[in-house]
Amino acid sequence: MLDHLTLMVLDAFLIAVFFSFLWKRERRERWLYFWKVFGALVVGAIVLAWVMYPFPRG
Amino acid sequence: MTDGARPAGFPLPLLLALAWLVPGLGHALLGRRLRAAVFFVVVVVGFILGLALDGELMLPASGDALAFLSMPASDPLRFLALIASVGNGLMFFIAHAVGAGQGTVTAAAYEFGNTFLLTSGMMNLLLILDAHDIAVGKKDW
Repeated sequence: MLDHLTLMVLDAFLIAVFFSFLWKRERRERWLYFWKVFGALVVGAIVLAWVMYPFPRG
Repeated sequence: MTDGARPAGFPLPLLLALAWLVPGLGHALLGRRLRAAVFFVVVVVGFILGLALDGELMLPASGDALAFLSMPASDPLRFLALIASVGNGLMFFIAHAVGAGQGTVTAAAYEFGNTFLLTSGMMNLLLILDAHDIAVGKKDW
């Protein structure tokens, strides 16, 4: 199906939309919060993946 | 109206049960229609993606009440996953009724499928708490 990066971005998108509507009231606040959460999830996952890269599998 | 935004004569436990069964329904009943629609779409899309990716809806060991009761101690991670799975409400029961959500461990996206199923369940559980706060007047929007 879709590759893992796309799925990760999609998951981050859904979570960011959810929390921006759950915790923020105003439209502008929601947009700002959405990008913060979305960026943190996507960039954080990629950074974490690179940090783990030197470790051997299994 | 009674306390908060709860419609008059609408028992709080019933409201919370409906909020659990259908994502966003609690918010819809409280008049938060835009948020209800967004929550419904997000949770349902996450759930459907999880099933499409061969994710697994966790179930307690069948027919063994003792094993279920000891689950928090014996298998805490699976117990938490069970709570998150059941958090999907009506979708969880429908999926089981039609034989979906069995999980295919060898599928390439199995773990992602689980992630989508569990996050959608956890989001729905958070919606119940949010609906509660609106209903009792702790949150006015």
